[in-house]
Amino acid sequence: MPAKFDLNDSSVVVIIGSGAGGGTLANELAQKGISSVVLEAGKRIEIADFKNDEDAMFALFTWLDPRTTSGSWYVAKTSPDLPAWTCKLVGGTTVHWGACALRMKEYEFKPRTRYGAISAANLLDWPIDLHEMDPYYDRAELKMGVTGTHGIPRLPVSDHGKVLFAGAKKIGYTKFETTNMAINSVPRDGRASCQQTGFCIQGCTFGAKWSTLYTEIPRAEATAKAEVRSESQALRIEHDASGKVTGVIYVDSKGVMQRQKARIVAVAANSIESPRLLLNSSSSRFPQGLANSSGQVGKNYMRHMTSTVFAIFDKPVHMYRGTAQSGIVMDEARLDTRRGFVGGYQMELLPQGLPSFAQNIVPGAWGRDRASIIDSYSNIAGVWLIGEDLPRETNRITLHPSRKDKFGMPIPNVHSDDHPNDLAMQKHAIGQADALYKSIGAKRTVHRLPFPSTHNMGTNRMSEKPRDGVVNRYGQAHDVPNLFVSDGSQFTSSSGENPTLTIVALTIRQAEFIADQMSKRAI
Amino acid sequence: MKLLNWTRRFSRRGFLTGSAAAIAAVATTGGTVLADAHAEMPGTAGLGAEEVRTLIKFTRDLFPHDRLDDSFYARAVAPLQQEAAEDASTRRLLSNGVDQLNRFAMASSGKPYVDVSGETARIAIIKKIETGAFFNKVYNDTIVGLYNQSEVWPKFGYEGPSSAKGGYLHRGFSDIDWPEKA
Repeated sequence: MPAKFDLNDSSVVVIIGSGAGGGTLANELAQKGISSVVLEAGKRIEIADFKNDEDAMFALFTWLDPRTTSGSWYVAKTSPDLPAWTCKLVGGTTVHWGACALRMKEYEFKPRTRYGAISAANLLDWPIDLHEMDPYYDRAELKMGVTGTHGIPRLPVSDHGKVLFAGAKKIGYTKFETTNMAINSVPRDGRASCQQTGFCIQGCTFGAKWSTLYTEIPRAEATAKAEVRSESQALRIEHDASGKVTGVIYVDSKGVMQRQKARIVAVAANSIESPRLLLNSSSSRFPQGLANSSGQVGKNYMRHMTSTVFAIFDKPVHMYRGTAQSGIVMDEARLDTRRGFVGGYQMELLPQGLPSFAQNIVPGAWGRDRASIIDSYSNIAGVWLIGEDLPRETNRITLHPSRKDKFGMPIPNVHSDDHPNDLAMQKHAIGQADALYKSIGAKRTVHRLPFPSTHNMGTNRMSEKPRDGVVNRYGQAHDVPNLFVSDGSQFTSSSGENPTLTIVALTIRQAEFIADQMSKRAI
Repeated sequence: MKLLNWTRRFSRRGFLTGSAAAIAAVATTGGTVLADAHAEMPGTAGLGAEEVRTLIKFTRDLFPHDRLDDSFYARAVAPLQQEAAEDASTRRLLSNGVDQLNRFAMASSGKPYVDVSGETARIAIIKKIETGAFFNKVYNDTIVGLYNQSEVWPKFGYEGPSSAKGGYLHRGFSDIDWPEKA
């Protein structure tokens, strides 16, 4: 039975967001007997509501509240009012994610030490390392049922994967496989195995893909230690005279403003909304925004170096069939500055259905050339290039000076300029993907520069010293002991890996810390 | 639904959704100030048949797939017709745009746009208006309306929803044999 907590119950942990961070934290705490109220801005839907329809699902679950963009990044030109593709529903972006579940590498936790000082970047080492994270990665993989780990069999190779792997082998790559995926290859943990529908991104209709919507959240509720309030958007976090947070002001599903008292507040609203909320919680004690004595809240916004290369063959590929992203080439995911950049990148399958492919393949273009690409749809393969982008103080989330959302909260602006290192990596990655596909007979490749960002990181970053970042090694705010950040915004650097597994691992670790600190009455 | 198309065309940075802005942009494209043919008829229902025929031809020229007959383009244009019937400013934007296409067509070929036989000649006409609000409106709406028709999908080899059929696990997710085994 889901719990029901009183608004004046000041013993609860209030968690803002129900995705990889928030949904997992609620369950981890619940299993330890700690009560939480989860405030989720979006609706609650169930697997039965998922449709194999790109357009319908996009409309149903995307975070479409107004946002603005600035800076020289490609997305600001092509999608100025949609900087990121994240989700607004119970389960958050775990409903939509591709489920590539990769561990960060040893060197990626120490970018400042390993890369050295880089001009116009705000590099910093994480205050933790891979050795410390490995046991939590183990637990995250077991929780999520990640294929290729802990004896869980890998998924089979799809047609789309066969094409990628054939090209990879041809140009001398050796590290390719169907990816460590948080998608059941065999029935596991009460969920079905993958049926190769091809609609992972639209919500897995078989529940084979891990999502907090139908794993962590119902399990947390079953303990009677968690209450999820959907359609409840947090506006402001309040604090007392001593500087400890005391509760959250939010608008409930009926549009009524409420105050939920709290012993602890955990922010897990993704890397645009989380800093927005902290910045909007400024006060006379925290004039720059809550937990922002460092001035780093909202800064160091990272979104990964990305691009997609689509290759046209004269034979069928059927990229839309099968597990969407189950295919990876990892040979370029390494530190080798002879390539002209620091950091590494992964090459991951990226199929698209006909509607999204046809509408977005060449932004703004028209006429015969564009049409000819779409005419080749069934013979097209696609690979997504995703690599480490560098933190910059000037890449940041700010509150819009005049525009407000329907609740009167300033909307966020997302500013980003590509660092020269990001562009050098992008050029290299596109060149390698071209070579890969051309080695096996691609007639033409089409380079699609970044889509709206699905990986958003860094805007409340973790640091050893309070002056360098917002939270400590446990995601605890340096300035406010009972305030935590539980999403990808705590990332100190972006790494070349998809962020979700690391978010879940950090959350498991954070829940242990919170329980320990509560038992010691430290918070 | 008009949401999937993340990458709409923008005449300038930021939002360009207001009708006033759209009309202003149309009025200044091409260097001629357009007479507002429909200013006296606010709320008049719908576009005329010739106007619709022109929009269908124009949409085909934007997204020319020889494998698709005109019925698919007509369906892509239908939401524009609907909107024009309900909203006078959309009606004006579209009517003025069609007028403009026809004016350029008369100047270059001595015929209305739909009767200009060469695709190259029509492309030259489109290039004269491709930065305007009429172009963007038609582009942004019909690119969605065209490719979101489930009847269009099989024409490109896309099979659409698969879950009700059990996914592709037993239906060919791994059935090609031309790539060398890696």
